[in-house]
Amino acid sequence: MNKARSIKQNHPSDALPNFRNLGVTLRMLLLGNALALLAALLQANDAMDVLLRMMQIATLLTPVLLGSLVLLWLAQPLLNKLAYWPGVLAVNVLVGLFTLLTCLFAGEFFRPDSAGYFDMVRCVLLSVAMSSLLLMYFRLRVRVLSRSLEDARLQVLRARIRPHFLYNTINTVLGIVRAQPKLAETALEDMADLFRMAMSDPQDQVALRGEISICKQYIALEKLRMGDRLHVDWQIQEMPEDALIPVLLLQPLLENAVYHGIEPLIEGGTIRVSLKRQGGELQIVVENPVPVADLSHTGNQLALQNIRERLALLFDIEANYQVTRGHGFYRVEITLPYAKEVTK
Amino acid sequence: MSQTPLKIFIVDDEAPARNRLRELLGDCGEQVAGEAANGREALEKLALTPVDVVLLDIRMPQMDGIELAQHLQKLTPPPAFIFTTAYDAYAIRAFELHAVDYLLKPIRLSRLQEALSRVREAKPVAADVLHELQQAPRRNLSIHERGRIHLIPVEQVLFLRAEAKYITVRTVEREYLLEESLTSLEKEFAAHFVRIHRNCLVAKSAVEGFERIGSEDGEGSGWMVKLAGLPERLAISRRQQHIVREFG
Repeated sequence: MNKARSIKQNHPSDALPNFRNLGVTLRMLLLGNALALLAALLQANDAMDVLLRMMQIATLLTPVLLGSLVLLWLAQPLLNKLAYWPGVLAVNVLVGLFTLLTCLFAGEFFRPDSAGYFDMVRCVLLSVAMSSLLLMYFRLRVRVLSRSLEDARLQVLRARIRPHFLYNTINTVLGIVRAQPKLAETALEDMADLFRMAMSDPQDQVALRGEISICKQYIALEKLRMGDRLHVDWQIQEMPEDALIPVLLLQPLLENAVYHGIEPLIEGGTIRVSLKRQGGELQIVVENPVPVADLSHTGNQLALQNIRERLALLFDIEANYQVTRGHGFYRVEITLPYAKEVTK
Repeated sequence: MSQTPLKIFIVDDEAPARNRLRELLGDCGEQVAGEAANGREALEKLALTPVDVVLLDIRMPQMDGIELAQHLQKLTPPPAFIFTTAYDAYAIRAFELHAVDYLLKPIRLSRLQEALSRVREAKPVAADVLHELQQAPRRNLSIHERGRIHLIPVEQVLFLRAEAKYITVRTVEREYLLEESLTSLEKEFAAHFVRIHRNCLVAKSAVEGFERIGSEDGEGSGWMVKLAGLPERLAISRRQQHIVREFG
């Protein structure tokens, strides 16, 4: 766990959005323009007028919005260092100043018929209000998502440590303890590591090599139980060892593959795990065979849903999650932004 | 225990779990008559050497413990069953309800001894109780034929037809006689079979096509269904003709 790094500095509900995240940028653009549309709707006398007013607003709004986004993108490392409320103040000051400067130096160009001093004050006030509203929206969004995270936490814990796995593993250890006490010792140590991880903060991120070693310990435990029926094809030669991923992202996927894929097959099968970096992204693929006849197969929705929620909270739209259910196989593909572990 | 030792058979797909049971049974001074890693293997071995008690795991590939117990019940005399499970809230509730013996993994020596001591007096589990315990449709039908139990995977069955006292089970190779009710089979395998006649269910996946016989609306006219791998045609009753449309 010493390699784990906490994503959040204080309580999860109080953090500025990551202005370098594409999802955050898109949300700000869309919401900003939606507010402008509302304003146009309020002022307009007929349908054509809405369009006209909207265009009028956009002449100043667009440069201010885009400029502020660029400014915030640049300021992200500095904003990161601030606590939440000073951060909010800093964002508003940046946006307000930028609006003021735009009006001062390019006001003639963007709004030739401007009413001078009053117009400038109005623009600054409106853009600060808009940025405050957007920040409020992001704060609420994080709260909602992390509430579901809190709610899910217990369930998650239960989903991660499937009771079936827990009791079966203990039974397995009891089954080998007399004949192979050394092997039983290793198994218990592996189990302790796995549980330590399972009880850690679900928002923590770990280096990929740590997650892989936990996964290998997990597979070793399952192999004790299932013997030759379980094989794993680790396609991880090209994997970036220092990439950060949310803790226990991969292990529940493997557990799912074992429980729903390998266990119901009398001959067992091979789980394929592929990890590689593609440009700025980390690609994770877990594929397992499933019984062809078994149409009722649903998978562990709880574990999968939890993974989806954590990805949404941590990466917004920059993470992609896809499940393919085919004839005799089941595949989960996850793409995350690649981030390197910071060595201390 | 002064009585003659019980002959006990272990069925579990996991080797360490079988090992654990063997050790515990050794501690009880009981005799292990044999073991199997899956249902099919258990049926083959138990048909040759009858035992008193079968310890069976519920969650196993291909055939779960409850289905296996239903097939094993056709042995004469049927063995007593003790189910083992690591975690299955639904099954445990059902066991409690029907007073069927079960052991929770990890299994304790004292619990095992208790269960074994009860076995001698216990009545065998009734067939309908096992049927009720079942959570999913069986994967196989079992037919008792001259001291042997045949397992027929459900997906190999082309049709089921009720005759006077039995049900004819038809596969591509041959016919078997089954002692069950068509109505309960229809209910259990609703996803797999469709009723074409008061006395006949056909496998949906085997339907190749429909043929019309007789003239339009004439006397004796109607639809016949053609099944893959079967030369004969089966008549669809007037009441069930809507399935022709549904298959399109």
